[in-house]
Amino acid sequence: MLPEGMAETLAPSSWALEDLRRKLLDHYRVAGYALILTPLVEHLDSLLTGSAEDLEQQTFKLIDPESGRLLGLRADMTPQAARVAARHYAHQDIVKLCYLGTVLRATAPEPGQSRSPRQVGCEIFGEPGLGADIEAINLMLQSLALAGVSSVALDLGHVGVYRGVVQHLALSAADEGELFRMVQRKSGPDMRQWMSALGLEASVRQLLIDLLDLNGGLDVLDAAASRLAAAGDTVQQALAQLRAVCEAIQAQPSPPDIHVDLAELRGYRYKTGLVFAAFVADHGREIARGGRYDGVGAAFGEHRPATGFSADINELLRLGL
Amino acid sequence: MRAMITLALSKGRILEDTLPMLKSMGIEPAGDIGRLLRVPTTEPDLQLVIIRPADVPTYVAYGAADLGVTGKDVLMEHGGEGLYEPLDLKIAGCRLSVAQVKDSPALPPQHRLRVATKYPAITRAHFAQRDMQVEMIKLYGSMELAPLVGLADVIVDLVDTGNTLRANGLVETEIITHITARMVVNKAAMKTKHAAIKGWLARFAEAVEARA
Repeated sequence: MLPEGMAETLAPSSWALEDLRRKLLDHYRVAGYALILTPLVEHLDSLLTGSAEDLEQQTFKLIDPESGRLLGLRADMTPQAARVAARHYAHQDIVKLCYLGTVLRATAPEPGQSRSPRQVGCEIFGEPGLGADIEAINLMLQSLALAGVSSVALDLGHVGVYRGVVQHLALSAADEGELFRMVQRKSGPDMRQWMSALGLEASVRQLLIDLLDLNGGLDVLDAAASRLAAAGDTVQQALAQLRAVCEAIQAQPSPPDIHVDLAELRGYRYKTGLVFAAFVADHGREIARGGRYDGVGAAFGEHRPATGFSADINELLRLGL
Repeated sequence: MRAMITLALSKGRILEDTLPMLKSMGIEPAGDIGRLLRVPTTEPDLQLVIIRPADVPTYVAYGAADLGVTGKDVLMEHGGEGLYEPLDLKIAGCRLSVAQVKDSPALPPQHRLRVATKYPAITRAHFAQRDMQVEMIKLYGSMELAPLVGLADVIVDLVDTGNTLRANGLVETEIITHITARMVVNKAAMKTKHAAIKGWLARFAEAVEARA
């Protein structure tokens, strides 16, 4: 028996997987991305450096018999790409990296997901403008199309909206965590109870309740601009960025269905700007995700803007059949 | 054509309150819900699956159902991860409480409390908040029996009218939390069938208002 959440792939699926791997990497190569092959195991502290502390619980650990140091098996290749960009490509203004490899996770992040996904992704470092966000979204959509996944819904959000709303609240870390979990569950009833127990001002309460409700088509952005007017400039800037990206994606030939969700905060702790994910009907969870995480390189001595996406190629193959 | 929506309902106590609510919205099962596990409704784009309350989050998280009705107790115990829970249906109200044998003598301070429950996660969190390390005894039913036969000192269980407790000589000593039925939503359904899901949530919210 294999351990829970592990799988082996045999022909013909293994060949289909290999075909898809080549197609994707060829596509990224033509688009100007450099392939990096990162180690399966690293020193735990380096693997978790930066804002990837979320990953600590997800990471399998072992002791190196040679050095006695604690090692971790990679649970996500994005922080590895950030480290490579900072260490080896510091001299370049803009770095575009792609990767593909198996990662290992102690628990599946969502029910039904694998503990050993074959992660594929692209990251763009050094490009602060929305052009990079749009490029990352398009690469994700093209990757799904190459895998034969059709009728994709693109979910867009911006962590700056939520940040702008909560920054004035001066919450304790525990309360902030509680609020974050309620927002992720869109639990209006729990949030109302929590807000009145905490004695938050009525105006702030309304902002938070509005945030939960602000999801749907592009008209959400108009509604948000007026309903969140009191939340200040950073929120309005975030909304303007979202609108620009939505319009750019929509102007492309055969655009995906766009869904805007201002309470969606995947990777909130290290994400800094636009966040996105792809969904298909009748598959209960997201199939690819990404977003902007400008601060991550700072831990490696080099602060520069970054955005990118990743997906599980095993899952793409299953959905593309 | 509007998107077909699958709504998972919780069998038992919650179902008894859910069906009248659906009826007040003009929706009725079009089949024998006593025998069938999957039933169409009088609405052409809504079908029901009727399952155990603890299974509802799983069906909805995987997308086997788009919407689900389950108790807040189930969501608290199983984490409710990977779901949206936007609406309190305000039906099937009860409370999750600690109970013990009436007039039972005070326990010595160093005694490690034995608690019988089918809610180990909630129970552990509740007593941990009071800095109490307790011995958990996981049971699947008839909690009230455990303290009577000396299996546990107290129980943590749902209390509705309190009749079962009284009949067995137990008293409720503490309310952990009030519980009602919640509507849960699959994340992908919210994104890919947005108009239909929002429409149903608005209709349910109206029905909740109308009953208030």
